[in-house]
Amino acid sequence: MQTDLHELQQVLLGRIGESVTPRDVLRAPEFKELYAKIPSLPPEERGAMGREINQLKQAVEAAIDRREAELEEHDIQQIDVTAPWEPGDAMPQLLSTEQGTQHPLTKELDRVIDIFTRMGFQAIESRQIDDDFHMFGALNFPENHPARDGYDTFRTEEGFIPPAHTSTMQYRILSEGKEKLEAGGQIAAVSYGRVFRNEDVDATHEHTFYQCEGVFVSETASLSQMLGTLRSFFEAYYGQKLAVKTQPGYFPFTEPSLEFMIEKPAAIGGKPGEWLEMLGCGMIHPNVLKTAGIDPEVYRGFAWGGGIERLVMLKYGIEDLRHFESGKLQFLRNFS
Amino acid sequence: MIVSVNWLKKFTTIDATLADLVDLIGSRLVEIEEVIDIGAKYKDAVIVHVVTCEKLEGSDHLNVTKIDDGQVVEGVERDENGHIQVVCGAPNARAGMRAVWLPPKSTVPSSFDTNEPFVLDSRKLRGVMSHGMLASATELALYDDHTGILDIADDVPAGASFAQLYELDDHLLDIENKSLTHRPDCFGIIGFAREVAAIQGKGFTTPEWLRDLQPHSDGSYPLAPLKVTIDDADLSARYQAVVISDITPQASPLLVQTYLARVGMRPVNAVVDMTNYLMLLTGQPLHAFDYDKVRAIAGDDFTIHVRAGKPDEKLLLLDGREITLTAEDIVIAANDIPLALAGAMGGAATEIDETTTTIIIESATFNLFRLRTTQMRHGIFSEAITRFTKGQSPEQTAPVLMSAISLLEQWSHSRQASAVADMYPGKRDLPTITIPVSRINAVLGTHDATLPMQATLENVEFSVQVDVHEEGSDSLTVTPPYWRSDIHIPEDVIEEIGRINAYDDIEPSMPSRKFEAITVGSFDALKSRVRTRLVRAGANELLTYSFVHGDLLTAAGQNPQDSYRIINSISPDLQYYRQTITPSLLAQVHPNVKNGYESFGLFEINKVHRKSLELNDEDVPVEVSQLGFVYVDAKRTNGRAYYVAKKYVEYLLAEFGINARYEMLSADSASALTVPFEHRRSALIRDIASGQLLGVVGEYTRQSQKSFKLPGFAAGFEIDMEQLRMVAGKANSVAYKPQSRYPGTSRDICFKVGENVQYQQVSDAVEAAVAGASLDVSVEPIDIYQAEAATTKNITVRISMVAHDRTLTGNEANDLMNEVSSAVIATTDATIV
Repeated sequence: MQTDLHELQQVLLGRIGESVTPRDVLRAPEFKELYAKIPSLPPEERGAMGREINQLKQAVEAAIDRREAELEEHDIQQIDVTAPWEPGDAMPQLLSTEQGTQHPLTKELDRVIDIFTRMGFQAIESRQIDDDFHMFGALNFPENHPARDGYDTFRTEEGFIPPAHTSTMQYRILSEGKEKLEAGGQIAAVSYGRVFRNEDVDATHEHTFYQCEGVFVSETASLSQMLGTLRSFFEAYYGQKLAVKTQPGYFPFTEPSLEFMIEKPAAIGGKPGEWLEMLGCGMIHPNVLKTAGIDPEVYRGFAWGGGIERLVMLKYGIEDLRHFESGKLQFLRNFS
Repeated sequence: MIVSVNWLKKFTTIDATLADLVDLIGSRLVEIEEVIDIGAKYKDAVIVHVVTCEKLEGSDHLNVTKIDDGQVVEGVERDENGHIQVVCGAPNARAGMRAVWLPPKSTVPSSFDTNEPFVLDSRKLRGVMSHGMLASATELALYDDHTGILDIADDVPAGASFAQLYELDDHLLDIENKSLTHRPDCFGIIGFAREVAAIQGKGFTTPEWLRDLQPHSDGSYPLAPLKVTIDDADLSARYQAVVISDITPQASPLLVQTYLARVGMRPVNAVVDMTNYLMLLTGQPLHAFDYDKVRAIAGDDFTIHVRAGKPDEKLLLLDGREITLTAEDIVIAANDIPLALAGAMGGAATEIDETTTTIIIESATFNLFRLRTTQMRHGIFSEAITRFTKGQSPEQTAPVLMSAISLLEQWSHSRQASAVADMYPGKRDLPTITIPVSRINAVLGTHDATLPMQATLENVEFSVQVDVHEEGSDSLTVTPPYWRSDIHIPEDVIEEIGRINAYDDIEPSMPSRKFEAITVGSFDALKSRVRTRLVRAGANELLTYSFVHGDLLTAAGQNPQDSYRIINSISPDLQYYRQTITPSLLAQVHPNVKNGYESFGLFEINKVHRKSLELNDEDVPVEVSQLGFVYVDAKRTNGRAYYVAKKYVEYLLAEFGINARYEMLSADSASALTVPFEHRRSALIRDIASGQLLGVVGEYTRQSQKSFKLPGFAAGFEIDMEQLRMVAGKANSVAYKPQSRYPGTSRDICFKVGENVQYQQVSDAVEAAVAGASLDVSVEPIDIYQAEAATTKNITVRISMVAHDRTLTGNEANDLMNEVSSAVIATTDATIV
């Protein structure tokens, strides 16, 4: 019986391969005959027979799908790719300008970078895949240091890391700026881009988000200058005078480390006494400067980094982080 | 981490109001996430003496009690003795006991912050009047206990306020631990109190017992000291252990229990509570082993080894899990038998229980880096390991162990049974740090004097020596106290001074900058122009994840083997790095069509990664920025979407003055970029001027169309942004021609060509023919027509010409048209229609 079925399968597959209407094979009389045989079998063999016929049928159906796709593909005619339109048609139209929109995150990032550029900071985009050295090692995070716990990093098979902060660019900014620094200049740069944390997604958590990070190094950089620079940025961003305050923090790559807060601006519905945590910042740790070849006895620097989503959410009152990467026109078309 | 304000007050005075204290801690020590007022819950709870306790007739478990509340509660019915009747179902209710009574109208503490607060009253139970209730630890929101009402062993007067007596008129501070990662000392109340003193500008004196670093092992003990070996000094800086006998299953003092309970630790018995209590006070965890169980396992003559785990070695933990050890783990072994996972969790085999009479107490520190891997590998996040991984000072193990011995003597009359065994291979001298005052001021941007800096450091018990030099160049020589294992370099000292004196008191200033013009990076500028251009053409920019499901890659015809694979992803949707933008865009088409959007264009500019792009000179993967675009019209049934996508490419490239050529895609093109595209309806985009390939434009393969449920009219493109940048940089975006003052003329001409002749061949021939003319000539397509089943097609173009120095004559125009005709005929075998 089994060899019969096997032979039948070969026959049917052959027929499908030659047919231009392969689905007809499903109605082949051989199937009817097979089913008709089942009642004549001893009861204990019927189940097995039924299963075998089903397997045969599945194999035939898969072959039909393949053949149909092949026929369809075969039917596709070569078009004249150099023509402006298809024969009989006319010049294609673009969509209406009214429905075009830029993503709110890239829009805000443009604005943030624009302010820092005007303040004299060079902008570079952050990497999306990096190694342990740039992500941690160069930033004074020893291996297995508990401070790494806060980052929940993804890893690839090869041990590469989708960076969990834009500070992954800091070593590059510092080592590239060393020459300029030693020629009497200063390092002033921001790095921006996508960062990744291995988190479950909900309204307030995303595994993918955007950060902007800044670095300033000179012979005279101080914590006071860091506070002034950040306040000045936020005043430009919100277009008003702002009260600021700080909280001590801990990051291995800065010392002292602080959290920077602003009083919620009236422009986004703030009342006096309401504070917003905007970013983490601090004086660059001497080990970080040293690793990048910069003498921490001569030069000092400060650095900061914060998320972009938060700025956008506060600005428009967006309630759910998940909208940003949802690709929904319903969401995107709000930002014309 | 929860910090009790009342507990802090045992070690330092707090003058500030609660609100000011919270602000002060927030700005100078650590973020407070929440302040919890627990006092309100307990304001009505009264200590009572149970005077009588009799069975309630007809009930198998209820008792009628008469209680003495010292007559402090008003408005409650009393008997002739002034006692109050309360029906109580607890099995441990008995006459003569002291208990906590919640009077009528009070709220049961455990229901206090819930949606349904339970307010007590006076009512009849089985016909007997009952006023309020006698409360269990569960009802008092202290800890879960279902054995009966809280039985107070202390001799406390009836009518006393439970909250006052047990210091529950308290506020709890919920601390954000993360920013204290480097502060082992702050994970103990004493260390936290020291900081609270200093940020109020006050000095602090650490209790004498915690400063006494010598283990006392005077006198003779019934047992010899334990034999302890640290097999590898890298595992443990110090390991101390002592045997304590006469352990009874006694409870710890109720006051201690309430402190443990309010910060979230369940009281168990005197031994466990003592270890937790000292850990909460000092940050130093302790562990207790059942001495007799250890002997039963390892024999009477055993040596405690601190050693690395052996591969495949198994250990059954206290929580019932059997784990397999690795060489990264540290274990405490008796002879060669593992007893406990050091720093993380004890073993089940040596757990103390009600029958325990003799224990070993361990006071040690372990390599925090190894503990962290242990923590991650075995998923252990106990209070103890949280503190160990902050790097507790090995000096502290001694005073804490001495305190453990004396607390057990006090609480349960236990006795020290051996001298303290002490292995200390990791002893280090405290660092001495010299730092000029001028440097402290320079880093912080302050102008502070030497004396206040010295005072600040001395308030947190640093020893400070001032070297006075000439004006302005004093220096401080600083030695931190032993518990500050985080202080090593001058920056650590600068941080202390800046933080304790408040960063917010530092006047913000601006750096003085070298004046220089900043050019916007050419890549950023390019991205911005591309975005603006496409938005103007009605497209919507979106952002999609950099990681995709393997199915998405295969649906687009890409080979997952070429993607970097994420190995620890939370979701299969984030398995692989994407290879190009197009598949992510295609995945967004169907959901939007389903939501009622008919015709739209989506684009994204982002980085993509492929293994085949290999590594750059930093040995990290090469990244490529690409622009993906997709256009769909769900309603349209005629025409080819290819030409709309091509129109978008032309419109985009025009922004940069780029003229591109569209080349047929070969059928066997297998690159990640081109595989989503149907080769007969797609083209490579090549910059004519440089010959550079920019990307691909076209319709999608049947497989992609089906997998992504695309409408029939769908096409798009993907362009390499780096190539575009290089080409765009060279081209002048506007090819301006001066306007002629003379009228021009235009002629339409129609060529009949074979169906396989490309439009480009015709237009190239036309362009070549007009190139030599001394006129300004422009050529545009007017019509392309092919009859059903015809093997020829008609291409009509309009040729417009104008001269700059004269009005063009008909003959001149005719001559040019003749040249055009013959050129096209020569190259394409056309006939003029």
